[in-house]
Amino acid sequence: MRPILECQQLTKKYGNFFALSNLNIALDRGQIIGLLGPNGSGKTTLIKLINGLLVPSEGHIMINGMAPGVESKRIVSYLPDRNYLNSSMRVEELLSFYVDFYDNFSMERASKMLDALEIDRRARLHTLSKGTAEKVQLILVMSRDAELYVLDEPIGGVDPAARDYILQTILTNYSENASVLISTHLIAEIENVLDRVIFLQNGQISLNATVDEIRTEYGKSVDTLFREVFRC
Amino acid sequence: MLGKLIKYDLKATAKVFLLLHIVYFIICLASRFLFMDRLDFNGDKDLLLAQIIVFSSAMLILFVLVNSGTWLLFTVRFYRNLFSKEGYLTWTLPASGVQHLWAKIISGWILYAVDVIVLSAGIVLLVTGQNVTDAYAAVAAEVTAEFGMPISTFGIYMFVLSFLSGICAVISSYFCVAAGQLFPSHRVIGAVAVYFITSACVQVLTMLILAASGHFSSDYFAGVTAGEGRSVVGYLFEGLWGSILLMFAIAAVQYAVMHFIMKKKINLI
Repeated sequence: MRPILECQQLTKKYGNFFALSNLNIALDRGQIIGLLGPNGSGKTTLIKLINGLLVPSEGHIMINGMAPGVESKRIVSYLPDRNYLNSSMRVEELLSFYVDFYDNFSMERASKMLDALEIDRRARLHTLSKGTAEKVQLILVMSRDAELYVLDEPIGGVDPAARDYILQTILTNYSENASVLISTHLIAEIENVLDRVIFLQNGQISLNATVDEIRTEYGKSVDTLFREVFRC
Repeated sequence: MLGKLIKYDLKATAKVFLLLHIVYFIICLASRFLFMDRLDFNGDKDLLLAQIIVFSSAMLILFVLVNSGTWLLFTVRFYRNLFSKEGYLTWTLPASGVQHLWAKIISGWILYAVDVIVLSAGIVLLVTGQNVTDAYAAVAAEVTAEFGMPISTFGIYMFVLSFLSGICAVISSYFCVAAGQLFPSHRVIGAVAVYFITSACVQVLTMLILAASGHFSSDYFAGVTAGEGRSVVGYLFEGLWGSILLMFAIAAVQYAVMHFIMKKKINLI
């Protein structure tokens, strides 16, 4: 089967600064992948390139064999690392918005999650707490039958109890045909759900291995290895 | 997809837009019955003149406020929806950059067009009282001679021109916002700077074209008096058609630049 994400010689420059340099990756389906690296390592740039929010300076990026565009956006479900929704909209209006624009959005799945978290559909987003608003965003993203979920800091702003719910949500909502790419600094929290990790450093890959390989080869957890590799 | 994008653009601006125009129309309605209908055109001329000057100035300010409010609505929607944090959702919808651009142009133009219609309706409401039409009838022939056409025809021309030029105004506003986001740390200031630079360039270009076509020569103004040669409106329209052509040409260039920016230079904060 064709890789869900392929990068070939992928480079992104801002002036003379290389945010990404000659990146080569091929990610298979059915995995949860941790995209890890210190601030400024190029994680967000890579995520923006996957979502067509930036154009590569050189090289290629392909999602299911397609360059980022209308077709790739149909199969990529993206959770940015900020509140990206119109805060004056009600939760029910956001649900209608997603139903209107995404053929693969499951209202049933979203409703189930909203009910489980007791989130009022009539509430406007700006009246919700920061954590609840983030949960709404995650519910919308994970309620799509996407082939690639790209989650940028999905657990950064929520309490530990909610983190468990979010990780559970991610695990239960992606299918074998889909992959989840998670960028986060909270490695210890998500380590147990990851199949593979990619370490990014100065716009280049410094490690691309399965979590099992890391544990057997290095005899360390991903969190410990990360702290050693990126020690300041 | 284009229809859905337009629907959500209009939905996002509908509440403020409706409120603004309902308030405007209520003011026009109240002004018609509480002020205009009570004007005595056979009374003291000085008092009448003072009343009309003060009222016209107040209404002019109201028109500008309502029109600027509409302009702000669609321009802010363009900025917020495409270049602020909301852009993270907008740009990841399964729609192309061109579809986003046209959705914004069409929805902006719809708002602009409805604004022109409501503003015009308000003006018609204000000036169609029996006392005003009777007073105007006394000077209608003189005004028609001066304008070279009945004032109603002139009004229709102005309405149609405003309607058509709306699309250029919308594109021009969006162009400034889109070009402004090329300066990532000063997007708003960048947009304002682009607006002033563009306006200055257009003014200079217009002047050059008018000068080259002989519009500033003393011969050109000869005969621009009532009943002799060209009428005042005739003179104005000659310049106006040129300005409209220039405006559409500039809008086409701005659209092309904007298209390039939205395809290649999007960089959300």
